[in-house]
Amino acid sequence: MTTVRIWFTKTGEASYISLLDLQRVMGRALKRSGLPVWYTLGFNPHIYMTFTCPLSLGQESLVESVDCKTEEETPDYEAWKTALNRVMPSGVEVFKVGPVVMKPAKIAFADYTVRYHDPAAVQVLEQYNALESAPVVKKTKRGSKTLELKQYIPRLDLRQEGEETLFDLRLPAGDGLNMNPTLLTGYLAEQFGLAAEGVGILRTRLITDDGRDFE
Amino acid sequence: MFDPKLKEALARVQKPGRYTGGEPGSVYKEKEKVDMRFAFCFPDTYEVGMSFLGEKILYEILNQRENWWCERAFMPWMDMKAEMERLEMPLYTLESKDPLTAFDVVGFTLQYELSYTNILAMLDLAGIPFYSKDRDESWPLIVAGGPCVCNAEPIADFFDMMMLGEGEIQLPMVCEAVEKAKKEGWSKRELLRALAEIEGCYVPSFYNITYKEDGRIEAITPTENAPAVVHKAIIRDMNSQPLPTHFVVPMVGAVHDRASVEVLRGCVRGCRFCQAGFLYRPMRQRDSALLDKAAQELCSNTGYEEISLTSLSTSDHSQLEDLLDRMDVWAGKEHVSISLPSLRVDNFSESLVQKTTKVRKSGLTFAPEAGTQRLRDVINKNVTWEEIEKTCNIAFRAGYTSVKLYFMMGLPTETLEDIEGIAQTAQRIVELFYANPDKPKGKSVQVTISVACFVPKPHTPFQFVPQDTKAQLEEKQQHLLRSVHSRKINVNYHDSSTSFLEAVFAKGDRRLAPVILAAYKKGCFFDGWDECFKYDVWMETFKEFGIDTAFYANRFIGLDELTPWSHLDYGVSHEFLVREYNKALGAMTTKPCNRICSGCGANKLLGGPCFDYSANLVH
Repeated sequence: MTTVRIWFTKTGEASYISLLDLQRVMGRALKRSGLPVWYTLGFNPHIYMTFTCPLSLGQESLVESVDCKTEEETPDYEAWKTALNRVMPSGVEVFKVGPVVMKPAKIAFADYTVRYHDPAAVQVLEQYNALESAPVVKKTKRGSKTLELKQYIPRLDLRQEGEETLFDLRLPAGDGLNMNPTLLTGYLAEQFGLAAEGVGILRTRLITDDGRDFE
Repeated sequence: MFDPKLKEALARVQKPGRYTGGEPGSVYKEKEKVDMRFAFCFPDTYEVGMSFLGEKILYEILNQRENWWCERAFMPWMDMKAEMERLEMPLYTLESKDPLTAFDVVGFTLQYELSYTNILAMLDLAGIPFYSKDRDESWPLIVAGGPCVCNAEPIADFFDMMMLGEGEIQLPMVCEAVEKAKKEGWSKRELLRALAEIEGCYVPSFYNITYKEDGRIEAITPTENAPAVVHKAIIRDMNSQPLPTHFVVPMVGAVHDRASVEVLRGCVRGCRFCQAGFLYRPMRQRDSALLDKAAQELCSNTGYEEISLTSLSTSDHSQLEDLLDRMDVWAGKEHVSISLPSLRVDNFSESLVQKTTKVRKSGLTFAPEAGTQRLRDVINKNVTWEEIEKTCNIAFRAGYTSVKLYFMMGLPTETLEDIEGIAQTAQRIVELFYANPDKPKGKSVQVTISVACFVPKPHTPFQFVPQDTKAQLEEKQQHLLRSVHSRKINVNYHDSSTSFLEAVFAKGDRRLAPVILAAYKKGCFFDGWDECFKYDVWMETFKEFGIDTAFYANRFIGLDELTPWSHLDYGVSHEFLVREYNKALGAMTTKPCNRICSGCGANKLLGGPCFDYSANLVH
C-alpha cells in the first residue's frame, strides 16, 4: 500500500467549499478519475482521504494537499495529475502528485497574502504598525486565551496593486498553536472599523518547524 | 476573480457555496461566440433546485447546441437577498455571473404554487419589470414551464409565454424562434405570434378573459389567431429521447444529492387526487437496456455513489427486475448503490427488497393516503389492508424497524371515521411487528404517520370539489391526535394555512395577479417555507383587493362551469374527469390503464392505444 499526496490549489469558486463538502467533492473526483484508489473495508466502504491542514471557508490557497492510498507500488504520478485535473471543479488545480515525504505534524507555520480592496485600509494598517500592543482573544473548543498579535506580526509591509493594498504574513499553523489570519482582520475591524468581509486571504506556503517547505 | 461586491456578500452569508457556481459538470462558454443565451431560473433555493431532474435534462439539451448557452439562477436565501439589495447587485447566473437582463430568454420552472412570489422577487432583484405588457423587445423574453403551467393563470400576466407539457423537443423549438427573431429583428409581438404556433406554447396576452357578475368565468377568447385550446407537448416515444448523462454535481449538499434516471413518465394508476398522474398521461417507459447504459454512464461521469430510479411509480415498470439485474452487474463493483424512491404497497416483492437494500437499510415509506378502504376506493388509491400487511411483513423480516406512512386529510366524502382509520392503520402495523416471529431481535418499531392537507387541483377529477376550511382541517387534526394511543406512533401534520393558499393559487384566475404582486411588495416570499410564511399579510392583502379567497378554495365548481384552465388541454377529456368524479362519489374504483383502457382520451396524444394489451405488462 502506497500513500499518495495530492497537491492542489483552492481558489475562486472553490474557496467557498467547506471542509465537509470538500471531502465529498474530492471523493467524487477520485471516483470519476478512475484511479486505483483504496477504499476502506467494512460495512460502508469509502475512499480513504486525509486533508493536511484545513483552510477556513472563503480563504484561498496555493498549497492544499490531501493524502489517499493505493495498492499500486509505484504510481505514475504524472498520469495521476492529468487524470485528476480532468475531473476537478473550477478553482481546484492539481499541480503535483507525489509520495508522502513529511508527516502533517511537521507543519509549524503558514504564509498568507492578505488583500484589502477598501482604500481606507492603508491608513488603518499604518496605524497598526504604530501600535505597541495588540491583544486578541482566540476562542477554541477548550476555552479562550489572549494572544499578543504584535508578538507574531510586529509590522505589516504594505504594497499596492492597482487600488488594492497587500501584505504578507507568517503565522503559526498545524497541530500546536494555529493562528488564523482572521485574528488580525477581525482585530482591525473591531479596533479601527476596517471591514473584514471581502478581504482576500491567500495561503501561499506551508513551512516546517525547521524552516523548510512542507512536502 | 470575483467582483469585490460579490466577495463581500459571500463573506456575510450562510453557505456561500450556493452562489458561486463552478461545480463539476457546469457548462462554461465564451459569451461572444453564442447566439442565444438562456437563463434557467428555479424559484427556490439552490439546494431544492439542484435536486430537480427537469433542469438537468434541459440544461444538457440546450448546451449541446454549440451556439446556445444555458445557465442557472436560483432564488437567493433571505440573507443573500438582503446583501444583494444592500450592495445593489442584480440577480446573476452562476456560470457567467452576468445579470438576468443580459439574457435572451429567462425561463422559470413552476413546480409549486407557493413559489410564485419568489418569481417576482427574482425579477425584482434583476431589475426586470413584472408585467409582460411593460416589457418591450429590449427585455429578455420571460417564459415558464413545469406542472403548475396547467393553471398558472394567477401569474399569467407576468409571463410573455408559458409552455405546457414536456420540454425536450418544445424548448429547443422556442429557442430557435428566439434566435431567428434576434437575427432578423422581429418585434416582440411577431415573436409571440410565431411561438404560439409551437406545440404547447401558450401566450397569455393573446387570450381575453371575461367574468360573470357572480365572479365565474364567462368566456375565454383567443386573439391574434391563437388556438382556442392549447394542447400540451409530449414525447411520443421515450426510447427516442436520450437520457442526460452529465449532471451538474452540487458541492454543497442538495436535497436529493444523487444520480437519477427517469425510468418512465406518467402513471397508470389514476389516483384521483394526483395532478401529476393526469398531466403526464399516458404512461411511457424506457427499455431496461437503455436505462442501464445511461445509469452506468451517469455514475461514471458524476462520481455519485447512489443512483435512484425515479418516476411517479417506478415499480410499475414492466422490466424493473431485469433492469435491477443488469445494474447489479456493475453497481457493486463501482461502489454504487441503487434506490427506488416510489415503491407501491401492492407490488412490493421480496426480491425488490433484496436488490435495493444491499448497502444501506433505511426506513420504509408508503403512501396509503387514506385510513379506510372506503375512502381509498373514493380516491382510487387501490391499496388494500392485505397488501399493506404483506409488505410490512416482508420488510420486518428483512430487518426494517421503522415505517413511515403518508396520508391526506380533507379528502372528498371524508368523515371522522376515516380519520380514526389513519390511527388504526398505524396501530395495526405496530401489532404486526410484534406478531412477526422473524422480526429483528431486541428492537422496537417506530411508525410515523405524516398527514398532509388535501388540495384539490386542476385537471383532476377532484378539481370540482371545495377544499375543507381551515377550521374543518384543524378539527380533523385534533381528532387524529386523540385517536392515537401508542408511543410507537409519531404523528406529523402540516399547517393548514399554507395548503389553503396553495388551493387558492391552484384554482385561481388572472384577478389574483395584483394581489400576489402586492403581497410580495409587503415582504411575502419563500411562502413554502414555514419560517417565512406570512398568513396574516396574505389575508389582509386579499381583503384590500376585495378578493374572496373562499370563492377559489372552498366553492364547488359546477361540472359544466368554464374554469380558468378550460383552454389548456393535457389530453384528458373533461367528460372523463366528470365520469371519474361521479365514480368517486360512489366509492367505485378504476383499474390501472395498463390493465384496461378507461378512455381518458390521452391515447390520442400517441395516435393509438397506450399499451399492447396482449402482452403481460402487469406483474
